[in-house]
Amino acid sequence: MTPYLRAGIILLCLLPIVATAQNPTPLIIEAALDLKIFTPLLEAFEQAHPDIALTYYDRSTLEVNQRAQNADPAPDVVISSAMPWQMALVNQGLAQPLDSDAARNWPAWAKWRNEVFGFTFEPIVTVYRLELARHMMPPTTHADVHKLLSTHQDLLRGRVTTYSPTGSGIGLMLFQQDARYSPRFWDLVAAMGAADMSLENNTQAMLDGLTDGPYWLGYNLLGSYALQWARSHPELIVQIPQDYALVMMRMAFVHRNAPHAEAAKTFMNFLLGAEGQRVLAGDTPLFSVLPEVTGPYTAQRLRDQIGERLYPIPINASLLAFDDPLRRRLFMQRWAREIEILKP
Amino acid sequence: MRLLIVEDDPLIAVSLTQSLAPLGNTVEVFHRLSEARTALAHSQFDLVVLDLGLPDGSGLALLTEIRNRGNATPVLILTARDGVAERVQGLDAGADDYLTKPFSLPELQARVRALMRRSQQRTDNRLRFGPLCFDQKSGDVTLHGERLDLPRRELGLMEGLLLHAERIAPREQLIDRLFGFGEVGPNALEVYISRLRKRLSGSGVRIRTLRGLGYRLEDDPE
Amino acid sequence: MIVIDGTLKQRLAGWLLAAVGLLGTFLLIEAYTSAQRAAGRAYDSQLQAASLTIAEAVQWQDGEPIVEIPAAALQILATDHQERVFYTLLNAAGQQITGNLNRAMAKSLGDAFSTNPMWKFAQNRGVRIRLYGRELRSAGWESSEPVQIWVGHTMSGREALAKELFLGTLTRFLAMVALTALLSILAIRMALQPVRRLRRTLLQRKANDVSPVGAQVPGELYELVETLNVLFERQRQGRNTLLRFTADASHQLKTPLAGLQSVSELALLSNKPEDWRQALQTVHDSSERTSRLAGQLLSLARLRHGTGEIHARLNLTDLLRETVMEWAERDTAQNHDLGLAVMPDSPLVISGEPWSLREMIGNLIDNALLYTPAGSEITLGLKQSAGLITLSIQDSGSGVSNALLERLHQPFERGGRQDTAGSGLGLAIVDSIAQAHNATLQMRSEPSQGLWIGVQFPVLSSTQQHSQSEQT
Repeated sequence: MTPYLRAGIILLCLLPIVATAQNPTPLIIEAALDLKIFTPLLEAFEQAHPDIALTYYDRSTLEVNQRAQNADPAPDVVISSAMPWQMALVNQGLAQPLDSDAARNWPAWAKWRNEVFGFTFEPIVTVYRLELARHMMPPTTHADVHKLLSTHQDLLRGRVTTYSPTGSGIGLMLFQQDARYSPRFWDLVAAMGAADMSLENNTQAMLDGLTDGPYWLGYNLLGSYALQWARSHPELIVQIPQDYALVMMRMAFVHRNAPHAEAAKTFMNFLLGAEGQRVLAGDTPLFSVLPEVTGPYTAQRLRDQIGERLYPIPINASLLAFDDPLRRRLFMQRWAREIEILKP
Repeated sequence: MRLLIVEDDPLIAVSLTQSLAPLGNTVEVFHRLSEARTALAHSQFDLVVLDLGLPDGSGLALLTEIRNRGNATPVLILTARDGVAERVQGLDAGADDYLTKPFSLPELQARVRALMRRSQQRTDNRLRFGPLCFDQKSGDVTLHGERLDLPRRELGLMEGLLLHAERIAPREQLIDRLFGFGEVGPNALEVYISRLRKRLSGSGVRIRTLRGLGYRLEDDPE
Repeated sequence: MIVIDGTLKQRLAGWLLAAVGLLGTFLLIEAYTSAQRAAGRAYDSQLQAASLTIAEAVQWQDGEPIVEIPAAALQILATDHQERVFYTLLNAAGQQITGNLNRAMAKSLGDAFSTNPMWKFAQNRGVRIRLYGRELRSAGWESSEPVQIWVGHTMSGREALAKELFLGTLTRFLAMVALTALLSILAIRMALQPVRRLRRTLLQRKANDVSPVGAQVPGELYELVETLNVLFERQRQGRNTLLRFTADASHQLKTPLAGLQSVSELALLSNKPEDWRQALQTVHDSSERTSRLAGQLLSLARLRHGTGEIHARLNLTDLLRETVMEWAERDTAQNHDLGLAVMPDSPLVISGEPWSLREMIGNLIDNALLYTPAGSEITLGLKQSAGLITLSIQDSGSGVSNALLERLHQPFERGGRQDTAGSGLGLAIVDSIAQAHNATLQMRSEPSQGLWIGVQFPVLSSTQQHSQSEQT
């Protein structure tokens, strides 16, 4: 998780302000979504709705979660990758329903109560430096990662990175999902612990470390960022695990106390509508969800490539389980135990 | 006296003519309303006997006509057996008396006599019945020409009886005439009647009692 | 006259509407509450299932309960309707082991707990939620503290389900009502078919057909048709009576007329004035008699077969006096002592028809005049006693025997007195008129004490007196 507030303020500089003497409506978006990645959609929105003055705050998931609960005035739109926290906010009643064609048209498995919508389809990937391939078989599955860590422990010591379960909103969730799908997960944790893995708070930090060093192997990174990064950093290989691949869906909702509810809804409708989804599919690595939309980055394409091994994290009440304090405590207790077990 | 008979049935017309002629009358008979109308327009009559059911119209219409003209000639209407309404209408229209068909000739004669007496009375203010004569102006009563000296009540009673000569004088009317509205004993009237009877005995006139109804001056057959 | 008083369709519709309205209201109320209950039960069972799932995941470690909340449990709680979900686990001390309820709510739940499973409604951020709580005790080697498990969710799902169930019932109910209404209309139309048939049958009858009606009818119309037949029967009888009467009357008329004819013929054969005089006298008397007979026949026919006459209030005292007065003036009464007894002071009022009462009195007087010798006393009177007004006529003739008294009512019965000029219809007329006035006829006779006939009228009741018009 980047520790610094990256306040990116985008004003209407790309287009001349339409001199129709109308006061533009402000729109405040609090998002845990990289501005660089999301810019194409924001620009497209501003072109389509010049009467709305967009203010986009790119923050950490923790900050977004807090602001959604405590900020006054509340933000208009809340976007985050921390799926359990988003669901908890919605469960508390902090979202307002979106009653529009775009909302109704949205696939049922990608929304909850018509209040919160998962609008991306980002695979969770393993990323490794090309160097690693010189020394060992590159991992294509979770089992491979475990094998590598076990057999090449010395080589990989200090060179492994993954999400911090406490420092990031999605890290713990991804680990808990991993634990669900395979009982060997804790072996992997132990192996990582034995390899002195580094814990980072966000994917970008992991990517930086893999690029500039010292990391050779990153586990459970956001595929969207990784793929984008890897395009300009060919020394990094992004591997979608072949045994099973988790899929994270970023969730967005209109705050119940949004001061500019209409503008917020307009934004959401744009995001969920064909136009916004086309931008996502074509100009961002976020993998659009809407089935009718085609492009290089669509959920359908991913499904075609990966097939049955894709395991999207479901957008339903079960997400709340990841937020359960006792559950988290128990998990962390085990985590703490496991990472020590194999250490020499 | 001139009599006008309006009757369409030939048998009845003939018997009317023959029974009324002996009363010293000239009798003219017409069978149709139109003829009678003409006759009445041209001549004066002392009495009209009018049958209501005529072929060319209702006798009532004719009656109403002549009454409207101010013609006060006494009219006796002949009504059908169950023509109560007709009878009432006729009397209302100005008929003086009625007879129901079939009638007996003596009855007809009596009625006609009574009517003629009444009309005569209007002309000379004298009430007559047989040998009795009562001058209403002077209050003198004569029997067979001789003056009867009657006390006030008997005089009143005699007048009452004479007014209804040959018809029944109702008790109530006589009592009113004699005693006014004062209370009278049940036999008060009888007392005066018997006094009058004494005076009239052997005169050819009698007073007949009709129980509960009244009294009537009649010819005494003895 | 026939007044159209709504239609059967309207009546049925009215009753149906009322019944449906009443029953329907109850039904729908019941359906509503039952839908609520059913939906409630369905969703409550989800709460139970979720709590069970959570319960199964509870474990005790060193006497302390721990639980890894199963994701499935939360999904069960959410149901298909995607409710907001709430859960909390409390230890024996009422502290929250884990959960997503705020402390205040968790505390209030803990306070409210009992060992039996509980159901509650509560408010969470302005929205109503349904909660289910149960106690979990574990079996094990060590005794361990009980745990309270509370699960809850928002209620939009069950409300939607209840609404759906209720609307389903409502729709079905309304459809049924519509169908019933339609069927009822058809049923009425079909049910009235026999009435239409009956009507056609009746229309096809000839004008003077009084034979009984034959028709195929449903049970309800049986009474109607039967009544029609009774009506026809009465008309038949009436017609038969009329025919009989006419036959009798014509026979009665023919006899004296035949006599007239033979007397006249005989007299024409003679050339003696005395014979002529005698014949004429006979003819005169006979004509009188025939005339009277004809008149009485007319009266009787009119009384027996005429339309109802209107009765009104009238003063019998005045009417009797007038009638007797009129008869006393007549020629026929000159040889008798016709009089009126002392009348009561107060007017005696009855409900009656003046013409027919005059006829009646006239016939009584006429009979008395005919059947008593000259000079006899004939006295009419009026008396009131005990709710009856009695109009009476008493003559001082020779009287009539008891056996003959019985038969005197019948037309043409002359009490053995064939020698007189009457026709025998007089008393029949009196009887008819008396009946028409709800009066009874009585006759008494002692030999050589004459005949007494009384007609007893019911006194006009005070209500009748006030409602009818006066007639004199």
